[in-house]
Amino acid sequence: MTGDKKGQIRTTVLFFGYTSDLAGCRSFELGLPEGSDATFALSAIERRIPKLAGLKLLFSVNREYAKGAEVIKDGDELAVFTAVSGG
Amino acid sequence: MSDPNTTDFWELTNDPLDVGVIARRVVPPSCGATVTLDGYVRQFTGGRETLYLEYEAYDAMAVKEMGKLVGTARGRFEIANIGIVHRLGRLEIGETSVVIAVAAPHRRAAFEACEWLIMELKRTVPIFKKEVYADGEQWVEGDGRQ
Repeated sequence: MTGDKKGQIRTTVLFFGYTSDLAGCRSFELGLPEGSDATFALSAIERRIPKLAGLKLLFSVNREYAKGAEVIKDGDELAVFTAVSGG
Repeated sequence: MSDPNTTDFWELTNDPLDVGVIARRVVPPSCGATVTLDGYVRQFTGGRETLYLEYEAYDAMAVKEMGKLVGTARGRFEIANIGIVHRLGRLEIGETSVVIAVAAPHRRAAFEACEWLIMELKRTVPIFKKEVYADGEQWVEGDGRQ
Protein backbone atom coordinates (compact mmCIF):
# COMPACT_ATOMS: atom_id res chain seq x y z
CA MET A 1 0.00 0.00 0.00
CA THR A 2 1.47 3.28 -1.02
CA GLY A 3 0.43 6.71 0.03
CA ASP A 4 -1.55 5.57 3.10
CA LYS A 5 -0.97 7.74 6.11
CA LYS A 6 -2.22 4.97 8.30
CA GLY A 7 -3.66 1.55 7.57
CA GLN A 8 -7.17 0.43 8.34
CA ILE A 9 -7.96 -2.62 10.42
CA ARG A 10 -11.10 -4.73 10.33
CA THR A 11 -12.91 -5.86 13.44
CA THR A 12 -16.15 -7.67 14.26
CA VAL A 13 -18.49 -6.10 16.80
CA LEU A 14 -20.98 -8.34 18.63
CA PHE A 15 -24.13 -7.27 20.46
CA PHE A 16 -26.12 -9.14 23.09
CA GLY A 17 -29.44 -8.60 24.83
CA TYR A 18 -30.51 -4.96 24.97
CA THR A 19 -27.64 -3.68 22.81
CA SER A 20 -28.61 -6.21 20.13
CA ASP A 21 -32.16 -4.82 20.12
CA LEU A 22 -30.85 -1.24 19.88
CA ALA A 23 -28.38 -2.09 17.13
CA GLY A 24 -31.01 -4.06 15.23
CA CYS A 25 -28.45 -6.79 14.55
CA ARG A 26 -26.25 -9.33 16.32
CA SER A 27 -22.98 -8.13 14.80
CA PHE A 28 -21.34 -5.97 12.18
CA GLU A 29 -17.93 -5.37 10.70
CA LEU A 30 -16.16 -2.22 11.80
CA GLY A 31 -13.12 -0.65 10.22
CA LEU A 32 -10.81 1.36 12.46
CA PRO A 33 -7.57 3.25 11.97
CA GLU A 34 -4.55 1.19 12.89
CA GLY A 35 -3.48 1.92 16.46
CA SER A 36 -7.02 2.64 17.71
CA ASP A 37 -7.59 1.84 21.37
CA ALA A 38 -10.69 0.36 22.99
CA THR A 39 -12.04 3.76 24.04
CA PHE A 40 -11.82 5.00 20.46
CA ALA A 41 -13.42 1.81 19.14
CA LEU A 42 -16.35 2.15 21.53
CA SER A 43 -16.91 5.77 20.49
CA ALA A 44 -16.86 4.67 16.83
CA ILE A 45 -19.51 2.05 17.64
CA GLU A 46 -21.62 4.66 19.46
CA ARG A 47 -21.41 6.95 16.43
CA ARG A 48 -22.73 4.13 14.26
CA ILE A 49 -25.46 3.20 16.77
CA PRO A 50 -26.37 6.54 18.40
CA LYS A 51 -28.94 4.85 20.67
CA LEU A 52 -26.04 3.30 22.60
CA ALA A 53 -24.67 6.68 23.63
CA GLY A 54 -25.43 7.55 27.23
CA LEU A 55 -25.91 3.94 28.32
CA LYS A 56 -23.58 2.39 30.83
CA LEU A 57 -21.88 -0.14 28.58
CA LEU A 58 -19.49 -3.01 29.09
CA PHE A 59 -16.97 -3.55 26.35
CA SER A 60 -14.81 -6.55 25.60
CA VAL A 61 -11.90 -7.19 23.28
CA ASN A 62 -11.29 -10.80 22.30
CA ARG A 63 -13.58 -12.04 25.09
CA GLU A 64 -11.86 -10.10 27.87
CA TYR A 65 -13.30 -7.02 29.56
CA ALA A 66 -11.54 -3.93 28.22
CA LYS A 67 -10.46 -0.99 30.36
CA GLY A 68 -9.98 1.41 27.46
CA ALA A 69 -6.27 1.59 26.67
CA GLU A 70 -6.10 -1.78 24.89
CA VAL A 71 -4.83 -1.39 21.33
CA ILE A 72 -7.20 -2.98 18.83
CA LYS A 73 -5.65 -5.26 16.20
CA ASP A 74 -6.84 -6.46 12.82
CA GLY A 75 -9.33 -9.29 13.20
CA ASP A 76 -10.19 -8.55 16.83
CA GLU A 77 -13.61 -9.53 18.18
CA LEU A 78 -15.25 -6.68 20.08
CA ALA A 79 -18.51 -6.87 22.02
CA VAL A 80 -20.80 -4.29 23.60
CA PHE A 81 -23.43 -5.04 26.23
CA THR A 82 -25.17 -3.56 29.25
CA ALA A 83 -24.69 -4.91 32.78
CA VAL A 84 -24.99 -8.67 32.71
CA SER A 85 -28.05 -10.33 34.25
CA GLY A 86 -27.45 -14.05 34.55
CA GLY A 87 -28.42 -16.12 37.54
CA MET B 1 -15.49 -26.89 30.14
CA SER B 2 -13.80 -28.75 32.95
CA ASP B 3 -10.52 -28.89 34.78
CA PRO B 4 -8.81 -32.25 34.11
CA ASN B 5 -7.08 -32.13 37.52
CA THR B 6 -10.32 -31.86 39.44
CA THR B 7 -13.95 -32.66 38.85
CA ASP B 8 -14.72 -28.96 38.42
CA PHE B 9 -16.98 -28.09 35.49
CA TRP B 10 -18.67 -25.02 34.05
CA GLU B 11 -21.19 -25.22 31.25
CA LEU B 12 -23.96 -23.55 29.31
CA THR B 13 -26.88 -25.61 28.04
CA ASN B 14 -30.28 -25.26 26.44
CA ASP B 15 -31.58 -28.35 28.20
CA PRO B 16 -33.51 -28.52 31.47
CA LEU B 17 -31.26 -28.71 34.56
CA ASP B 18 -31.45 -31.54 37.08
CA VAL B 19 -30.17 -30.07 40.33
CA GLY B 20 -29.61 -33.39 42.04
CA VAL B 21 -27.57 -34.83 39.19
CA ILE B 22 -25.40 -31.71 38.97
CA ALA B 23 -24.82 -31.68 42.73
CA ARG B 24 -23.75 -35.33 42.72
CA ARG B 25 -21.12 -34.69 40.05
CA VAL B 26 -19.00 -32.58 42.43
CA VAL B 27 -18.83 -35.02 45.33
CA PRO B 28 -15.45 -36.61 46.11
CA PRO B 29 -14.86 -39.08 48.98
CA SER B 30 -13.01 -36.51 51.10
CA CYS B 31 -16.02 -34.26 51.40
CA GLY B 32 -18.68 -33.96 54.04
CA ALA B 33 -21.00 -31.40 52.49
CA THR B 34 -22.21 -30.07 49.19
CA VAL B 35 -23.98 -26.71 49.09
CA THR B 36 -26.14 -26.31 46.00
CA LEU B 37 -27.80 -23.18 44.72
CA ASP B 38 -30.88 -23.80 42.61
CA GLY B 39 -31.76 -20.53 40.90
CA TYR B 40 -35.14 -20.64 39.18
CA VAL B 41 -37.61 -18.43 37.39
CA ARG B 42 -39.61 -16.17 39.70
CA GLN B 43 -43.21 -15.48 38.83
CA PHE B 44 -43.57 -12.12 40.58
CA THR B 45 -40.95 -9.36 40.67
CA GLY B 46 -42.07 -6.35 42.67
CA GLY B 47 -45.70 -7.22 42.08
CA ARG B 48 -45.35 -7.56 38.31
CA GLU B 49 -46.06 -10.98 36.86
CA THR B 50 -43.53 -12.63 34.61
CA LEU B 51 -44.83 -15.07 31.99
CA TYR B 52 -41.46 -16.55 31.11
CA LEU B 53 -37.79 -15.65 30.73
CA GLU B 54 -35.36 -15.78 27.86
CA TYR B 55 -31.66 -16.07 28.52
CA GLU B 56 -28.90 -15.57 26.01
CA ALA B 57 -25.14 -15.50 26.45
CA TYR B 58 -21.94 -14.42 24.83
CA ASP B 59 -21.14 -18.14 25.00
CA ALA B 60 -17.38 -18.13 24.48
CA MET B 61 -16.73 -15.29 26.89
CA ALA B 62 -19.27 -16.59 29.43
CA VAL B 63 -17.56 -19.97 29.61
CA LYS B 64 -14.20 -18.23 29.96
CA GLU B 65 -15.47 -16.00 32.79
CA MET B 66 -17.10 -18.97 34.56
CA GLY B 67 -13.77 -20.79 34.41
CA LYS B 68 -12.05 -17.78 35.97
CA LEU B 69 -14.58 -17.75 38.81
CA VAL B 70 -13.95 -21.42 39.51
CA GLY B 71 -10.20 -20.84 39.62
CA THR B 72 -10.50 -17.80 41.88
CA ALA B 73 -12.93 -19.55 44.23
CA ARG B 74 -10.50 -22.42 44.63
CA GLY B 75 -7.86 -19.96 45.86
CA ARG B 76 -10.19 -18.17 48.26
CA PHE B 77 -12.10 -21.01 49.91
CA GLU B 78 -11.25 -24.41 51.41
CA ILE B 79 -13.33 -26.34 48.96
CA ALA B 80 -12.93 -29.52 46.96
CA ASN B 81 -15.02 -29.24 43.81
CA ILE B 82 -17.20 -26.76 42.00
CA GLY B 83 -19.86 -27.24 39.35
CA ILE B 84 -21.67 -24.41 37.57
CA VAL B 85 -24.31 -24.92 34.89
CA HIS B 86 -26.39 -22.10 33.44
CA ARG B 87 -29.33 -22.72 31.17
CA LEU B 88 -30.10 -20.57 28.12
CA GLY B 89 -33.16 -20.10 25.94
CA ARG B 90 -36.77 -19.88 27.05
CA LEU B 91 -37.47 -20.83 30.66
CA GLU B 92 -40.91 -21.20 32.18
CA ILE B 93 -41.89 -20.16 35.71
CA GLY B 94 -40.23 -22.39 38.28
CA GLU B 95 -37.67 -23.88 35.90
CA THR B 96 -34.06 -23.89 37.04
CA SER B 97 -31.86 -21.31 35.33
CA VAL B 98 -28.62 -21.86 37.20
CA VAL B 99 -27.10 -24.50 39.45
CA ILE B 100 -23.95 -23.92 41.47
CA ALA B 101 -22.76 -26.89 43.51
CA VAL B 102 -19.77 -26.69 45.82
CA ALA B 103 -18.40 -29.69 47.70
CA ALA B 104 -16.12 -29.15 50.67
CA PRO B 105 -14.73 -31.13 53.59
CA HIS B 106 -16.71 -28.79 55.88
CA ARG B 107 -19.94 -26.95 55.14
CA ARG B 108 -19.00 -23.36 56.08
CA ALA B 109 -16.53 -22.97 53.22
CA ALA B 110 -19.04 -24.49 50.82
CA PHE B 111 -21.74 -21.98 51.82
CA GLU B 112 -19.35 -19.06 51.53
CA ALA B 113 -17.99 -20.17 48.17
CA CYS B 114 -21.46 -20.77 46.75
CA GLU B 115 -22.63 -17.29 47.77
CA TRP B 116 -19.47 -15.70 46.37
CA LEU B 117 -19.82 -17.62 43.08
CA ILE B 118 -23.42 -16.55 42.42
CA MET B 119 -22.64 -12.92 43.30
CA GLU B 120 -19.70 -12.87 40.92
CA LEU B 121 -21.55 -14.75 38.19
CA LYS B 122 -24.31 -12.12 38.27
CA ARG B 123 -21.69 -9.38 38.07
CA THR B 124 -19.21 -10.65 35.50
CA VAL B 125 -20.46 -13.52 33.34
CA PRO B 126 -21.98 -12.23 30.07
CA ILE B 127 -25.41 -13.84 30.29
CA PHE B 128 -28.50 -11.74 29.60
CA LYS B 129 -32.05 -12.16 30.84
CA LYS B 130 -35.23 -10.90 29.21
CA GLU B 131 -38.39 -10.87 31.29
CA VAL B 132 -41.56 -11.32 29.28
CA TYR B 133 -44.76 -9.97 30.86
CA ALA B 134 -48.36 -10.10 29.77
CA ASP B 135 -48.05 -6.52 28.55
CA GLY B 136 -44.49 -6.30 27.29
CA GLU B 137 -40.93 -7.41 27.75
CA GLN B 138 -37.68 -6.03 29.08
CA TRP B 139 -34.01 -6.93 29.11
CA VAL B 140 -32.95 -6.92 32.75
CA GLU B 141 -29.94 -4.82 33.61
CA GLY B 142 -27.84 -6.39 36.31
CA ASP B 143 -26.01 -4.78 39.17
CA GLY B 144 -23.02 -4.04 36.98
CA ARG B 145 -19.37 -4.76 36.95
CA GLN B 146 -17.13 -2.37 38.84
